[in-house]
Amino acid sequence: MDEPAILDQAVISGLRKLTPPGEPDVLAEVLKLFLEEVPPRITRLRNAWQAGNIQEVHRAAHSLKGSAGNIGARRLFEVCRQLDDISKSGDLAAAAPLVDALGVEFGKVESEIRRLIGD
Amino acid sequence: MVPLQVLVADDEAVSRTVVGAMLKKAGYPVIYAPDGQQAWQMLDSDDPPAIALLDWEMPGLQGPEVVQRIRSKQVQAPTYVILLTSRDSSADIVEGLRAGADDYVTKPANEDELIARVSVGARVVQLQTALADRVRSLEEALANVRALQTLLPMCAYCKSIRNDQNYWEKVETYFTQHSNVSFTHSYCPNCYERFVRPELEALEDARAAQDRQRRG
Repeated sequence: MDEPAILDQAVISGLRKLTPPGEPDVLAEVLKLFLEEVPPRITRLRNAWQAGNIQEVHRAAHSLKGSAGNIGARRLFEVCRQLDDISKSGDLAAAAPLVDALGVEFGKVESEIRRLIGD
Repeated sequence: MVPLQVLVADDEAVSRTVVGAMLKKAGYPVIYAPDGQQAWQMLDSDDPPAIALLDWEMPGLQGPEVVQRIRSKQVQAPTYVILLTSRDSSADIVEGLRAGADDYVTKPANEDELIARVSVGARVVQLQTALADRVRSLEEALANVRALQTLLPMCAYCKSIRNDQNYWEKVETYFTQHSNVSFTHSYCPNCYERFVRPELEALEDARAAQDRQRRG
């Protein structure tokens, strides 16, 4: 089975079509928001994980999952979904590889976005 | 028909922006709230949005709590509430609907599904508003009918009516005050024969007698 896409092209083209005529590009706005909002939340999640604050890990993973889902970042979404599930079961030790994967997957999404919006 | 205003309440800016853009593309005016507290302030105002899309998990007040507050308010046309949730287990959905949500959409929202569900909401809100208007006008009509259905004491001879203040009024006065009826005065053929004709004839006779006198 193919690995899920870094950015799902169907979602990206859906977002591109949301821009009304003569208005600022919705896709660019959403992707920029994503780049602004996600890194501090990843930091928050990492800190919470180190501190063993399971509720905060859950909250951060949950909201990151939402952001990733909205731009079609499938692999990042999958990592967030697993973190969300694990934080519900309470086994924080099992989350170590996922916390690492979160940073890696975000890096990939970020370079893909910068390529898209010509940054 | 003026498009109904939609509130999008979500702490996540990405999700809020995407959902808002979908709604604006479909022609809905959109307002935003970044948390449950601000969402509640907008919903509790004098002119609340007709439809609200509420994120399930927000800091401060969560979606289901906001719904409970909306439902405890007694208003004629309550806001149609759709919960936005990334949870999709049926237990969570049941919990949301029990709290008083009208519908739910799982995140990330699919554009066509979101707009279809919002337009169902718009239909419900419009029906409810039309129904409330209808009930109000029927209640007014019923109040008028009631006013005319009471037992009226009427004088058997002069046909005056005794009003609530124990005062005898002319029929015309009574009905003008208690209904939308107003009167124009005329006479029926019977009364013409009984009253009008004799009066006219008496008048003619009097005039003829005067003429005779003057000539004589």
